[in-house]
Amino acid sequence: MSDNNNERVEKFKAEVAAMHLRDPATGLDRLLVRLGVAGLVAGPCFSIAAWFIAHGTRNPLQQRDAIVVGLIGVTLAVVGGALFVKGSMAGFLRFWMARLCYEQGAQTDRLAATLAGRARLEATGAAAAATADGRATDEEERASDDQGATRTG
Amino acid sequence: MTALDPTPAPAAPAGGPDPALPLVELRAVHAAYGTIEVLHGVDLSLMPGEVLAVLGPNGAGKTTMLNVLAGLHPLSGGDVFVAGRRTNGASAADLARVGLCLVPEGRGIFPNLTVRENLRMAGHTGHDPRLVEDAAYERFPRLAQRRRQLAGTLSGGEQQMLALARGLATDPAVLVLDELSMGLAPLVVEELYGRVAELAREGVSVLVVEQFARVVLGVADRAAIMLGGRVTEVGTPDEIESKLSAAYLGG
Repeated sequence: MSDNNNERVEKFKAEVAAMHLRDPATGLDRLLVRLGVAGLVAGPCFSIAAWFIAHGTRNPLQQRDAIVVGLIGVTLAVVGGALFVKGSMAGFLRFWMARLCYEQGAQTDRLAATLAGRARLEATGAAAAATADGRATDEEERASDDQGATRTG
Repeated sequence: MTALDPTPAPAAPAGGPDPALPLVELRAVHAAYGTIEVLHGVDLSLMPGEVLAVLGPNGAGKTTMLNVLAGLHPLSGGDVFVAGRRTNGASAADLARVGLCLVPEGRGIFPNLTVRENLRMAGHTGHDPRLVEDAAYERFPRLAQRRRQLAGTLSGGEQQMLALARGLATDPAVLVLDELSMGLAPLVVEELYGRVAELAREGVSVLVVEQFARVVLGVADRAAIMLGGRVTEVGTPDEIESKLSAAYLGG
């Protein structure tokens, strides 16, 4: 191999060596979706528990604790919801994009076929018209020739 | 072995890469669609700067093997090594970015975008879209004439040229071609494989999967036969050509 080619292989090896690889066994995406679901379930539970704590006491300190627990619940629900939506949408959008590409491809194919068919029809029509014109001209010429011959005769 | 081996490949000796070390290697690769296993332990290696043709009938698992290599399909067993590094968990985008480029079966172009827009899509890898375009038009002058035409309205050969040009935009070290000849006239196929041979001379390692052997064996350095999810034969194009009919017809 030439120096240029060696350079290409060396560059490739260096880039592969520097590539950040994620371990597929960890299934990070699935883990995040599960965490999201857990947050969505745990969040409202925390908030309901906080409501009971706050109602069960007249001690302002305990009520403040209940407010903190409630806020943690809301935060868990919001973060969990975001994680769940992100995970689900990523899966859905991947499928949706693939489908969109396929459908647009099919539509363009249909359009191209229709345009090609139309072009063929126009070409056939033009050819037929040209043939008809040619025939008409021939007949006119023949007729004028006949007339000329009659006059000469 | 851990799930991922972060150790980079051993350094190549001074004066260039070790030609004995494969650039891409599949070791006992298994892959499945749900519960149906389609690759039953594929072993294959691609050396630097070589053109390797993988031939086999429909349903042999050729496309699945390429998808596994390109990070588009998960393995259920075995290992994929790229430049000496285990890349089982690598995403297709990362592999494409570093220079392993797959031109998929059916071309994979955007039919509703123009030729120019298709080429510009390759700019997402960080390459200057204008340079990508210039390089593509230089390599495939016919695309320059069609730059404003919708890709879906190009002829089959031109679509395949566009797919190749877009793949080459990343300046790949490894080019993986799936059924380049599919649906194309023999003359166009010959022209395309001429370009593939040029690429190989430029130092791009090419792994090409084909059902139709004649043209690809003319440009390949080595060839392999794949049957029933396994690589059954590897050898020179002449050796493989003599075994092809038996492989296809089960003789």
